[in-house]
Amino acid sequence: MAALRDQLVSFIAALRAAGVRISVAESIDAMNAVAAVGLERARMHEALAAALIKDEADRATFDESFNRFFAAPRANRGEHPDQRGEQVSAAAGRGRPGENPSPRDDALASTRDEKSLSLPPEAKPAKKTSAARRQDTEKGRDEEESKNARRHSDRIRGRRDNGEPETREESPTPGIDATRVARIRAIERTPFDKFSDLDYDEARDALAPLIRRFRIRLGRRLRLARTGRIDFRRTIRAALQRGGALIDLNFRARRPRHVDLVILADISGSVRYAAQLMLELMAGARGYFRRVSSFVYVDHLAEADFEDGHLVMTPALDLYARSDFGRVLGELCERRIGLLTRGTIVVIMGDGRNNRLPARADLLREIVRACRAVVWLNPEDPARWGTGDSAIKQYAREVNAIVPSRNLRELQVALAAIAWRQG
Amino acid sequence: MMLTREQISGGLKRARYVTNERVETAIFLALALEKPLLIEGPAGAGKTEVAKVLAEILHTELIRLQCYEGLDEARALYEWNYQKQLLRMQAGEQQGLRWEELSEHIFSRDYLLERPLLKAITAPSRVVLLIDEIDKADEEFEAFLLELLSDFQISVPELGTLKAHERPAVILTSNRARELSEALRRRCLHLFIDFPGTEQERKIIELKVPELDAKLAAEAARFVSAIRKLGLRKPPSIAETLDWARALVRLGVRELDTDAVRTALGVLLKHEDDRAKVESKASALAPRTR
Repeated sequence: MAALRDQLVSFIAALRAAGVRISVAESIDAMNAVAAVGLERARMHEALAAALIKDEADRATFDESFNRFFAAPRANRGEHPDQRGEQVSAAAGRGRPGENPSPRDDALASTRDEKSLSLPPEAKPAKKTSAARRQDTEKGRDEEESKNARRHSDRIRGRRDNGEPETREESPTPGIDATRVARIRAIERTPFDKFSDLDYDEARDALAPLIRRFRIRLGRRLRLARTGRIDFRRTIRAALQRGGALIDLNFRARRPRHVDLVILADISGSVRYAAQLMLELMAGARGYFRRVSSFVYVDHLAEADFEDGHLVMTPALDLYARSDFGRVLGELCERRIGLLTRGTIVVIMGDGRNNRLPARADLLREIVRACRAVVWLNPEDPARWGTGDSAIKQYAREVNAIVPSRNLRELQVALAAIAWRQG
Repeated sequence: MMLTREQISGGLKRARYVTNERVETAIFLALALEKPLLIEGPAGAGKTEVAKVLAEILHTELIRLQCYEGLDEARALYEWNYQKQLLRMQAGEQQGLRWEELSEHIFSRDYLLERPLLKAITAPSRVVLLIDEIDKADEEFEAFLLELLSDFQISVPELGTLKAHERPAVILTSNRARELSEALRRRCLHLFIDFPGTEQERKIIELKVPELDAKLAAEAARFVSAIRKLGLRKPPSIAETLDWARALVRLGVRELDTDAVRTALGVLLKHEDDRAKVESKASALAPRTR
């Protein structure tokens, strides 16, 4: 059984390399699972999936790797499609557990042969890290490796081409909900600067469940924060009714601090997707703040509102103007000074790229002084902060916190953290 | 008792649960490896049903813990019966018992109110424990479950650690209202149950609503799986499909044409937008338009 164990170990290593998180405990589960169901291919497939894949989004990766590692013995080499069917069923029948031990070993051996035939141990593409590959300076070896990889992928493709109905039967294609969940998760991780209009539409579709989840998260946290220290008087009074036994503890209710939120979102250029999604996410969580005032800006400030899921701004902004956050800060201080109080949290979403116009970080400092907190969410990669025309370093010195929000997932975490500040 | 893989698929058939290789293997493994099974999937795809059917196959009791926001240990695990303890204390005082004697009494199992988790642990034989909609419970509760799920034991400070005589078969279900922690996922086997395919759903309809004409059942299954692909706010669950099939029987529908689809759509769709969407496409979707 050692060979199978090795094969499973390298299978798990390949899955890990493909980005699936698998713990040692789970790999032990996988071994036990295979021991329990036996070697019949379809069963082993499902057993390994149950033990290793804890997230339906990883299922496609798993299926692909499984087909690569545990190819149906001999079947994939067959050039005659009509012969293949019976070979597969024969092989599957042989692997059934509990018939007698020898055919099982036989099936195992042929699987192993198959694998060693097509994949020499030092050239397994999945197992090699890119670093290790870089160390391979010998050209010949590189070539051999790529040849192997090509042959390998040809093999997979070939099997897909003529084995379509069979594979579908073995591993049912993920259904509607599975693909939807996988899509939501994928879009949550797509960086905003890689967004296209199509991605944006998809993100909008995904937003409804996200908003609900976000609201639940906020609500729970705020509710927990509401119970404070023990209220001694009420506890004693309650105890009197029960002959002096301290049975019910009464807690002092913590008065919810009322927080106003002022949101400033840059809707120019590449950050516009991030800004719009943030505004929409926050619009869904409006109930948790006393007042939410949303603004968008490019070179001027405009009030933002949502009607039927569409962003409406007054006055309308020229989206292709040169961003000027310095002027926006000036307008905020002049016209909206009433909004900036001790109970206000200001959230700014933007990349701080100011086209080399005056940054006016001094105004930002004053706003920070007047308000409870100013938090900056930056959809740009931190590595690029402060490069080129970015004034983010100057702003970063003034604000209470600056948080990278490169994708929907980071954005949600950042927004939830802001909401909790008030608790 | 160890069940074989074949006994399980036989049992599922007897319990009239239509399923596939994936579900059978996962259930078998959960029993064979004595690991909890985490089932995810859309609402109404039959996740909870798995636990019920499993209890039926094992001829045992199903203990169900319905999770909700704010669920705490007192509700899930155990609680001391304060009233009974108080009464006992008062009675004890009159008898002139000392505190040591008294406390031995009032912190014994007699004064413990067993909630589902403790009940499952202390059950004399193997039971099926269903922790339903774990995603609705708070994260703290999830963390608390970890001890239970890995060792099947519970610590009660006054009594010490209680260990399961017979490990219960644990099924957890989740609708993904939130992400579950990695730690929990690691301890469970995982199964994703999606809506059934057309063929499978037809089988389910035929099994559960035998009055419906076979041809009509096939058409109904095809129609339902078509509208699930429309991206509705709430795609119809299996239970709703079955209700709809029963409605079709009651309405005496012979052919699933556009009108027949329209009359009973309320059974299938519970949102006005969804309804409008499907009605506008009803003629294209209905198997027979004439």
